[in-house]
Amino acid sequence: MELSVFDLSKQLGVAQDTIERWVRQGKLPVFKKGINYKFDTKELKKWASNHNIKLKFSDKTDLPQKQEQSIIPLSVAVQNGGVYFDIQGHDVNSVLKASIEKISKIPETFKTDLLDRLIEREKALSTGIGNGIAIPHPREQLSYLESPLVSVCFLDQPVDYKALDNKSVSVLFFILCPALKMHLHLLSALSFCLRDHQFIDFLKLKPDFAALVKKIEIIQKTNPI
Amino acid sequence: MSKIKNFFKNLFRRLFQLDDRLLLIIAGSIAGICSGLAAVALRLSLESVLELLHPFRQYGWAFILPAVGALLSSFYLEKIAREGAGHGVPEVIYSVSRHGGLLRFRSSYSRLISSFLTIGSGGSAGPEAPVVMSGSAIGSNIAKFLGLNDRQRITLVGCGTAGAIASIFNAPIAGMVFAIEVILGEWKFVNIIPIAIAAVAGAQVSHAIIPDQVIFNHLPFQVGGADILPSLGLAVVTAMVSVLFTKVLRQTGKIAKKSSLPFWARAIIGGSTVGIIGMFMPVVLAEGYHSIQSMISGTFSMGLFFVFFAVFAKIFATAMTLGWGGSGGIFAPCLVIGSLTGVVFHKMLMVLVPSFGCASEGAYALLGMTGLVSGVMQAPLTGIFLIVEITGGYETILPLIVVSSISSTMSHYIEPASFYFKELIERGQFLRPGTDARILSDLNIRELIETEFVKVSENMVFRKFIELLKTSDQNFFPVIEDGTQEYKGVIQISAIRKFALDPGMYDMVFLNQIMDTNVMTASLENDLQEVLDMMDINHMDSMPVVENNRFVGMISKTRILDLYRRELIMQTSDH
Repeated sequence: MELSVFDLSKQLGVAQDTIERWVRQGKLPVFKKGINYKFDTKELKKWASNHNIKLKFSDKTDLPQKQEQSIIPLSVAVQNGGVYFDIQGHDVNSVLKASIEKISKIPETFKTDLLDRLIEREKALSTGIGNGIAIPHPREQLSYLESPLVSVCFLDQPVDYKALDNKSVSVLFFILCPALKMHLHLLSALSFCLRDHQFIDFLKLKPDFAALVKKIEIIQKTNPI
Repeated sequence: MSKIKNFFKNLFRRLFQLDDRLLLIIAGSIAGICSGLAAVALRLSLESVLELLHPFRQYGWAFILPAVGALLSSFYLEKIAREGAGHGVPEVIYSVSRHGGLLRFRSSYSRLISSFLTIGSGGSAGPEAPVVMSGSAIGSNIAKFLGLNDRQRITLVGCGTAGAIASIFNAPIAGMVFAIEVILGEWKFVNIIPIAIAAVAGAQVSHAIIPDQVIFNHLPFQVGGADILPSLGLAVVTAMVSVLFTKVLRQTGKIAKKSSLPFWARAIIGGSTVGIIGMFMPVVLAEGYHSIQSMISGTFSMGLFFVFFAVFAKIFATAMTLGWGGSGGIFAPCLVIGSLTGVVFHKMLMVLVPSFGCASEGAYALLGMTGLVSGVMQAPLTGIFLIVEITGGYETILPLIVVSSISSTMSHYIEPASFYFKELIERGQFLRPGTDARILSDLNIRELIETEFVKVSENMVFRKFIELLKTSDQNFFPVIEDGTQEYKGVIQISAIRKFALDPGMYDMVFLNQIMDTNVMTASLENDLQEVLDMMDINHMDSMPVVENNRFVGMISKTRILDLYRRELIMQTSDH
């Protein structure tokens, strides 16, 4: 296979000027095709092994692109997760249990396991972040989920959640993600929304699914990540 | 049909483009033959002009002959060829290390003519350096004609050098060793074969054309174990003389440069001085091959004191010739001074210990030559092999090695750089392959900068910048002016951390209020050495590169280390 100066400069991670200088100085096995310098992969490999230089040739001449993680906005995650009302229960464990049972996107077989993990997480440190809101989530990521979901659960009655400001909690945002990167992203996006006092007041009205998604979309526009 | 064509095309590529050994051997032998011819031409013309001028030497006005020669020579170099005076070897070394051996075609004959004028008229200088310059220029131009790359051109320059030295001394191995030891400075497998062939070709040329005038016909010597002790003493003496010679040469040149005389006046003064010395001691005149021959064969007829003064007279005459406008090299003067030193040493030994059973005077002349060549040029191997080839055997090898190693070590201790290199070191142009200076000179800023940077406007609000920061992995943000796009300053994330963590600041400041405008910047023209020094002094890890008020990129130590290492691998590994 033939490579051009540009291809080789990408391969070796040096400037094109450097490649041209090496050619001029006679350090690379090169041949001319018309007026352009060309490099033969086979000769280059031989040369590289003689010079103890690491050289990897893929069929594609371009460098492996950084794997683009599919980052989805919070509004989409909420659409995935859904909104649920009238969650019954009088303590942390019971509201978590009731919520998990309601969230339809979680496969039935994993529900007990997820509940254990959520309770374990709450025992370590409460996810109640104040203003009557908690963000329960497991520490480990859930590889069985296809896409990240944020489920919003409005409690029937406020529950003592050992929150930071000791206020009892009435809204739960479940963040359930298959990968850590998405989790951090959603957490960051959500905390941005929850810093907005208007949004907190809006949540107290227990808005329906469509209104909530719309509100999040509006806030997102001011904070594009 | 096309298959056959392809086959030949492939064959050609394999033979000449991808593997250049065959090509280099062929081109190298041509370079060797051509430079051999140049050497023979200079030798023959020198012989005939010295013969021609010989009858006039007895007249009182003969002392102006070297002055006229030096005048013509410096006039030719200054006005016609427009090349600097001097012997040319440092120029060849510099060209090899910096410009891949690129030499002008003009150099292949200009030094021959100027040194012919200098030496032919009686100036005390050697024809070797001009021949080396000429041979290397021939090699370089052959490479240019064939469109070869730097590495191949350097090999051919070495071939030209080797052919020239081999031809002038009829000593192929000395030619090869000189080319590698002094000119190229690296022993590489790919260089050695073409250079060896070129050296043999050069020697054969002189052997074929002027078999009777070969300077050193093989002369066997009887050197015994008794000579080891005296040779130790001789080594010390030659080291002293070497240092003296180097110092006098340099000092005289400096005095000439300091004097505000025009070049022609300098040439006249220098030439006349040499001429006057020559009136009393003809041994100092010209390149002195004849005197060397008579000293080696033991027919040198001067008394002890006379020879003793001749050593210093020759040193002074050479310095006056070369420093004050004449053109030529120091190789032949080294040999003359060396053999004179050897003869003095032998004569003194005979006076002190008359019954000492040591070798003949000629043998000591040879040992003295080795001592001077090793001391002045700090090329011990060239000295050893030259004498080994002259004597045609290895009987003398032990005292040779003793003299050569002691002399070169001692003079290296006193004068760390050889005569050839000193000039280059002073100009910062001594760039031997695989050294730090060489690598830094090869890498230029343009190759090292990283250019993919998001630039920000100086009127950007800090909050917007924070947004930008969230999605970027840059640590440096160049700040530019809105309209003109001119570079204004740089924002370093580490420097603005305390603002970045304070949301209260976000809407309060613009970027031109927090950017750093005092950061040192480099330009594309800077040497890497300068940039590294700047970074060291200011404790910076990276530095913006700004050209014509435009931001071009960043240069960082991480990147430099990365590329420096690659360059080191490229330069030090065999081809």
